[in-house]
Amino acid sequence: MTGHTDWRALVAVAMVLLIAPAIPGIATKTKSVLTGRRGAPVLQGYRDLAKLVRKGRVYSDVSTWVFRAGPVVVVASLVLALLMLPLDGRSAPLHFAGDVVAFAGALALGRFALVLSGLDTGSSFEGMGASREVTIASFAEPVLFLCFAALVLATGHLSLNGAVGPAIGAAWPRDTASLVLVALALFVLLLAENARVPVDDPATHLELTMVHEVIVLDHSGPDLALVLYGSALKLTLFAALLVCVVVPRAALRAWTAPVAVAAGVAVVAVLVGVVESAMARLRLTRVPQLIVGAGALALFGIILLLR
Amino acid sequence: MQTTAELLLLLVVLTDLAVLGSSRLRTCIRAVAAQGLLLGLLPVALASRYTVHVVALSAGTVVVKAVVLPLFLLWAIREAAVRREVEPLVGYIASLLLGAAAVAAGFAIATRLPVPDVAEPVLVPVALATVMIGLIVLTTRRKALTQVVGYLMLENGIYLFGLTQTESVPFLLEVGVLLDIFAGVFIMGIVVFHINREFDSLDSSHLTELRD
Amino acid sequence: MTFVFWSVALLLVAGPIGALVSRRAAAEFAYRACVSAALVLGAVPAVRVLAGGSVASRTLATPMPGGPWVFGLDALSALFLLIALGVGTAAAWFGVAYLHRGVTARAARTSHFFLSTLLAAVAALVVARAAVPFLIAWELMALASYGAIVLDHGQAGVRRAGLLYLAATHTGTLLLFVLFAAWGAGAPDLTFAALGGRTLDPAARAIVLGAALIAFGFKAGVVPLHFWLPEAHSAAPSHISAVMSGVVIKMGIYGLLRVSLLMGALPAWWGWALLALGGVSGVLGVVWALAQHDLKRLLAFHSVENIGIILLGIGVGALGVAYGHPAVAALGFAGAALHTMNHALFKSLLFLGAGSVVHATGTRELERMGGLARRMPVTALTFLIGSAAIVGLPPLNGFVSEWLIARSMFGAGLSASPARVAVLGVGVLGLIGALALACFAKVFGAVFLGRPRDASVVVAGESAAGITRPMAVLAAACVAVGLLPGVVTPPVLRAGALVAGHANPVVPAAASDPAAMAATWFTLGLGGALLLLWGVVRSGWARTPWAAATTWGCGYGLPTARMQYTASSFAAPLLGAYRGMTGVRVVRTDASLATHVADPVLDAVVTPGWNRLQEAARRIRPLHRGRLSIYLMYVVAALLAMLTYLMLAGRGA
Repeated sequence: MTGHTDWRALVAVAMVLLIAPAIPGIATKTKSVLTGRRGAPVLQGYRDLAKLVRKGRVYSDVSTWVFRAGPVVVVASLVLALLMLPLDGRSAPLHFAGDVVAFAGALALGRFALVLSGLDTGSSFEGMGASREVTIASFAEPVLFLCFAALVLATGHLSLNGAVGPAIGAAWPRDTASLVLVALALFVLLLAENARVPVDDPATHLELTMVHEVIVLDHSGPDLALVLYGSALKLTLFAALLVCVVVPRAALRAWTAPVAVAAGVAVVAVLVGVVESAMARLRLTRVPQLIVGAGALALFGIILLLR
Repeated sequence: MQTTAELLLLLVVLTDLAVLGSSRLRTCIRAVAAQGLLLGLLPVALASRYTVHVVALSAGTVVVKAVVLPLFLLWAIREAAVRREVEPLVGYIASLLLGAAAVAAGFAIATRLPVPDVAEPVLVPVALATVMIGLIVLTTRRKALTQVVGYLMLENGIYLFGLTQTESVPFLLEVGVLLDIFAGVFIMGIVVFHINREFDSLDSSHLTELRD
Repeated sequence: MTFVFWSVALLLVAGPIGALVSRRAAAEFAYRACVSAALVLGAVPAVRVLAGGSVASRTLATPMPGGPWVFGLDALSALFLLIALGVGTAAAWFGVAYLHRGVTARAARTSHFFLSTLLAAVAALVVARAAVPFLIAWELMALASYGAIVLDHGQAGVRRAGLLYLAATHTGTLLLFVLFAAWGAGAPDLTFAALGGRTLDPAARAIVLGAALIAFGFKAGVVPLHFWLPEAHSAAPSHISAVMSGVVIKMGIYGLLRVSLLMGALPAWWGWALLALGGVSGVLGVVWALAQHDLKRLLAFHSVENIGIILLGIGVGALGVAYGHPAVAALGFAGAALHTMNHALFKSLLFLGAGSVVHATGTRELERMGGLARRMPVTALTFLIGSAAIVGLPPLNGFVSEWLIARSMFGAGLSASPARVAVLGVGVLGLIGALALACFAKVFGAVFLGRPRDASVVVAGESAAGITRPMAVLAAACVAVGLLPGVVTPPVLRAGALVAGHANPVVPAAASDPAAMAATWFTLGLGGALLLLWGVVRSGWARTPWAAATTWGCGYGLPTARMQYTASSFAAPLLGAYRGMTGVRVVRTDASLATHVADPVLDAVVTPGWNRLQEAARRIRPLHRGRLSIYLMYVVAALLAMLTYLMLAGRGA
């Protein structure tokens, strides 16, 4: 917020916030079509949210204010992270040197709030989900940092504003291989952080196999709406980050750049759907292997940049 | 990072990592086959002129490394009814990290090596990394078949070293190298087969029972 | 400087006053007044120096052993002085209320005496500018903290922990003698100015830096020299643990920074060694912490982790000096200094919170707690703030220092020298952060959330105001530092630039205000967004009805406290994934699960080494005859041997 913020950057953020509920819908629809079913409409997410907001809430007699604050913090932290992405390819609403750390920090804040609100219910289901969430995150977070390190090295910018904004265009011809590796690693992170196949299956409702869905078993009504919106937003956020890395937008017009991001996010959602219909869910003990593999890719990208 | 050769070499490293990270024997063999294909394409990508020498080397490599040997290994799995898991002695995560360290070491060492006349700066580091990862697979996997895979990767790394000298190494020597691998893998295949018949398993740790 | 001297003097009298005044309330009032006044007296010059001013150094007028005794206050000293006095005062206030229960008035008075003496020693240590006063203050600090640790000396475990601490700290002191001997050989006197003026050859420099690494590493609890730390921290009363963790081990960091400053030209290996030790301490510390189920031992292992993060910063700083990147060096040292301060704030807060919990429940066992957030709301809220801060979550203080350290790593990565490999450190930083998040989710969940797991643990209610107020102050400090990085960053950058060896300690342009100001905006923005959303939810949805029910058990309607996830089961998958690296064992049976952590250093190196030493000592026992004349003969023989050696050596020369 340096005073030079273009109001169009804020419009782009608002647009992403608006399309977020449709993104998991696109992934689900793709999966349905590929497996020969008709599937729920893409806009089902909005209907679910509208329904949940009107419903009443049920609170466990065990839970405290930590439980009630959880969903709010989750959404706020994701919005904050989104504000650090230069969606229009020029500038992000919030940026400063080293804000890559803040991006990861905001995600961690949301995770902490979600995990604590799960633990607050005193249920072993939520405890189990929370435990799995932090286990997976402990592998995913270093990989995210390594991806950011590679982006910083490739572009020379310590801020996402430059690193995935104007400077990425010049970096692609120079460091193609590294950036491809980073994009691959980011896609694996997207699957892992958003509890998609092959890490977790959002379609199952068997509590013992779930990661993300099981933490929020006790949330209801508007709280659940916030949680659902938050998970859609997180998927959209990661997809937008991936698109910002892959599609240099500095040359695009101010209005077409956000539209390109939106289209790119939809493409990523289709890719997620394709992966989900082509792969089976991994055994939980195999998940770290997958994420460490992504880390090896990012590390290799950094090695190429450092040589 | 623009040339095709560099892209191929980077893909070679990815196949290295894929062998380290996959838990299925078949996936390992397919990765090595893909690596063989990449190695076969490399002489063409590196060459300035397409001589008979280059094309023959390329075709021979593809046939031997990408088709014959993998098919032979897959056949061995089927015939010997090997279990499909890799069964590593060192965990997958640890081997992946070791592999990443090997790649880093390859790049670090390559700049200090007195290698003359390198057409492609990534070639020597990738060769070193592939040799080291081949050694890792060879030493950290329990099954005889995975050890064959490691041996193949080791050989692939040496082949990459050889590519730095394509202009000066006689054609016959390269054919000799290819034949050497072929014979080596064939012999190992037969040995594997016999281990299986004697011990009803391909776990090479059973071989320790053979000492006095 | 006069202010600092008065501060030290007040701290020295604060303890004995308690013995002179007979009424307990009056004695405690005097003690608290003295410590608080000492804080004010020390803070005035410290803040002035940190804001860019200077304070003239002073030399004691009377001739002293070991050359002149010089005392001075620069930005580095000022920062550590503020940390020590601030945390110390909060702990002292807490301690007065804390020791009202469970110990005799006499024991409490002794504890207060040791604490204030400890603080005086630390204050003298950071302003000492000559080897002899430095060593005296160092020893006084070690002895006073020993006295404070063994308050419960009736218990064998406490005595053992104290002994282990004493052995570790004295091994460190021995190496400090080596350090000053190697450094001061040939110097006119042992003032720091004289030491800093010497140019050492690489071999001598290696000895000095190696001795510093081990001596200060012992004090700071760097893996593999950390083995005394969990024992001592969990044996001490909680407010003493807070001071040990927040102040005493930080003197190891102070020592490393001071040596880096005085040495000037640092070799690259020193930076790499610090970086490697930092990574190892950080990761192993937090994984070992995850395996603990004793609240205070867990927090103690987190000190090992945070010392690791600090060492990462110092390591990058040293690399910046060695390869000639002043901005990277200043950022690295500044990040380390700020993290030292932040860790002092949130770790002492967490230890005080643990004290409050232990006070209320009478147990340190995580598996027996649960549901305390309802009974102890203030403790819960402050503990949550401390937890979020130690995990490095924005908008709290831990984030600011980790941001600085990460920035220095990125800066190193963009340089053209070999230092660029240090950029891989951000991956380690991310790993440590994610594991710390897991660990504090476990702690906060097990202690404060859910239902009470053990019906026999009865909690009366929130702790007394004397206990909660110091915690609230520390929590407020954590939030303030987090929200105002623009205020905090320039002073620590000044300290960082000083260590990095800028002749004129100015803030490097690369790290000047805009970034910090933007960070301020960022954190304020987050706070605002949170409040806004909270308000929307409160006002907009408060009208929708809500119902109370039991926790959804997937159809099972009678959940009991025994069915909750335990702290051990929460950590088990993580520990399972990292077991190869850390030697943590997860033991499962059909009906139970437990995690065990063996301390590899203590079990494999220190204990066998100690046994062997005792064995050797037993062998020379026959020398003891118990007769005075024989001992005199030994003395004469030793003297003769020495004289013979000197004669022979003299002839050789």
